[in-house]
Amino acid sequence: MESLSETPWDAVIEGTGLQHSLLALALSRSDKKILHVDANEYYGGAEAAFSLQDVSEWVEKVKADSNGTPFQSPTLWKADTEASSDSEKLSFSRAYTLTLSPQIIYTKSKLLAQLVSSKVYRQLEFQAVGNWWIYNGSLEEPLKRLPNGREDIFHDKSIDNRAKRGLMKFLKFVVDYENQTEVWEAHADSSLQSFLVFQFQLPQQLQTIISALTLSLDTPDKTVVRWALPRIARHLTSIGVFGPGFGAVVPKWGGGAEIAQVACRAGAVGGGVYVLGTGVKGSYAIEAAETEVPKVSVALSNDETVTTRHYISSKAQASSDAKVVSKVIAVISSPLPSIFASSIEGSPLAAVSVVVFPPESFTEEGLSPTHPVYIMVHSSETGECPAGQCVLYATTHQSQDSQAILTAAISRFLKAAEDNAKLLYKLYYEQEQLPGTSSLDLAFDDQMLDDVKAQWKTVLGYGDTEEHPAFMDFPDREGISPDDDDNDNDY
Amino acid sequence: MAEATAPKPSSSVKLVLLGEAAVGKSSLVLRFVNNDFQENKEPTIGAAFLTQKCNLPTRTIKFEIWDTAGQERFASLAPMYYRNAQSALVVYDLTKPTSLIKAKHWVAELQRQASPGIVIALVGNKLDLTNESSGSGNALGEDGENDGAEGENDDGDARKVSTAEAKSYAEEEGLLFFETSAKNGTNVTEVFTAIANAIPETSLKGARGPGATQSSANRSEDQSRVNLTGPRDNASKEGCAC
Repeated sequence: MESLSETPWDAVIEGTGLQHSLLALALSRSDKKILHVDANEYYGGAEAAFSLQDVSEWVEKVKADSNGTPFQSPTLWKADTEASSDSEKLSFSRAYTLTLSPQIIYTKSKLLAQLVSSKVYRQLEFQAVGNWWIYNGSLEEPLKRLPNGREDIFHDKSIDNRAKRGLMKFLKFVVDYENQTEVWEAHADSSLQSFLVFQFQLPQQLQTIISALTLSLDTPDKTVVRWALPRIARHLTSIGVFGPGFGAVVPKWGGGAEIAQVACRAGAVGGGVYVLGTGVKGSYAIEAAETEVPKVSVALSNDETVTTRHYISSKAQASSDAKVVSKVIAVISSPLPSIFASSIEGSPLAAVSVVVFPPESFTEEGLSPTHPVYIMVHSSETGECPAGQCVLYATTHQSQDSQAILTAAISRFLKAAEDNAKLLYKLYYEQEQLPGTSSLDLAFDDQMLDDVKAQWKTVLGYGDTEEHPAFMDFPDREGISPDDDDNDNDY
Repeated sequence: MAEATAPKPSSSVKLVLLGEAAVGKSSLVLRFVNNDFQENKEPTIGAAFLTQKCNLPTRTIKFEIWDTAGQERFASLAPMYYRNAQSALVVYDLTKPTSLIKAKHWVAELQRQASPGIVIALVGNKLDLTNESSGSGNALGEDGENDGAEGENDDGDARKVSTAEAKSYAEEEGLLFFETSAKNGTNVTEVFTAIANAIPETSLKGARGPGATQSSANRSEDQSRVNLTGPRDNASKEGCAC
């Protein structure tokens, strides 16, 4: 087999985060010679998923040098309890797949359509994001399930009739907001909350519910109408697309990390060469005669130098005003059945539930969240933890107090779920929004697909307006039978 | 008779291929799936996985055979490759001793990464390059005949790994063991049939990842699955038929 440096590569892709993995998938049927490297020994980059052992190694690595990564300040905590039952203590390292990307994917996202049209969806398993909860801090019902449709709203006695009419009016408007610019365009840069009061006379309680659907990490005054309306519309129109009772899914076994692995495998099946544990030290453009195509020389960390037409770098530039979030990944000793119980006939068993803490929804030791706090609760159905336990992924805007706020939110959530769940494991870290790395958005952002498509067109040499083959749309490969059994070989 | 007309239970089983480059992993699969062999086959390209049924007296096993897609070359196989694999074929080239060392490495990797109950078959391929016309498979009695065979043999026997050596290693590790020729087809279906037979009935239907308890888990797994190809298909054909 040829060595890496002897091969004239069409593209060298650095990093196996979700975006670059999807690029590898997009290029997998292009007959281009692709070399895909990653300095890490694992797939997924900023969207990787880890065993407990992997987490410990990752923490040490980030502590030693967080340069070039979006991560900082990791702290790891483990309960040292003499537990009586298995679910009350941590299991073995590989029983866990803790993901740095617990993003939910709305059913209307183009990503799902492209995973289907590119045929790799068969290697993935998707699960429903079922129940959404709002924490309101009240004594009688601290966790309130979000209404899952008009009927729920009609039956909710805590909403008066005037507010119900306003809410119905808003829901009808928002799914058609693109055609009703006269209603909102004048308020495009106002806060969502003031818009809801001004246009729809919605009370505070309903403003909070609607804001929760945006998954905004900002304070309410910075959550503006032009940004929020498409997200609320996406939420509402996504429900029911793949079945009743849910509007978003997550891939089993670690979300984005699993998609990245499957996409890279598709790249390999298409002939791409994969080298983990090998990064890029530097690159320079090779001076080319006028008639020649420009090429890039890329120096790999294994001291090989390769030549390529295109080099897709993963180097991110830090910017001073980048958004930073604080995150906690926690393992708890309960399956939290009340959180996942379905209220919708015929809906799949939810594997993920979303809990929203609006700003100022609690005060603990003088601290109150100024920004919303979100907890994505993953059951053992996700394959991320053993049966009898759950993984909580908590996120809020980074501040001096954010670690304490997240910890308080988790303990309040466990108390509200009326569960004796114990905290077994807690990883705290901060993540910065760097251009070219994973988005901090709690829901998958389709913008990534546009970026992938632009890179794909560059590598294939299609201009902006030039006709090109369908993106991420591949026929079945020879030898693969469709889902039915008719084409199977037999002996 | 009612029994004769009742369809046999059928289960999908994920099988992963492992082994050094150029030992004949893809050729073994090609022989098994298409009963075909290609001389000087290009290094693996082509398919995410291939399927082939194996009919046993009491049940049908539908193998989903996953090739490494070359990702073994730089030790870049992802955890998803091992995920839920109920069986593995670890292949070495019996004319190349280093490939057996590599095979042992893969067996260790499987024991680390794969589900605990995985059925592993160690396969020495390229039996056609030796003088033996038929493989030794699990047959007894031929052990030792080629022990210590090193270097070229006068009669063109290229074997460099003795049956006894590989077999005793396989026994130590609790692996199925076969010597095959993908070129001639010797022992190829036998390997897959032996694997199918070795897969415990209890591990069929929905494998679980490490750490999950086996009991009652399978039912809920089907309940949580979302089908992306349309809500109409929600009652999954395989899962809920029974």
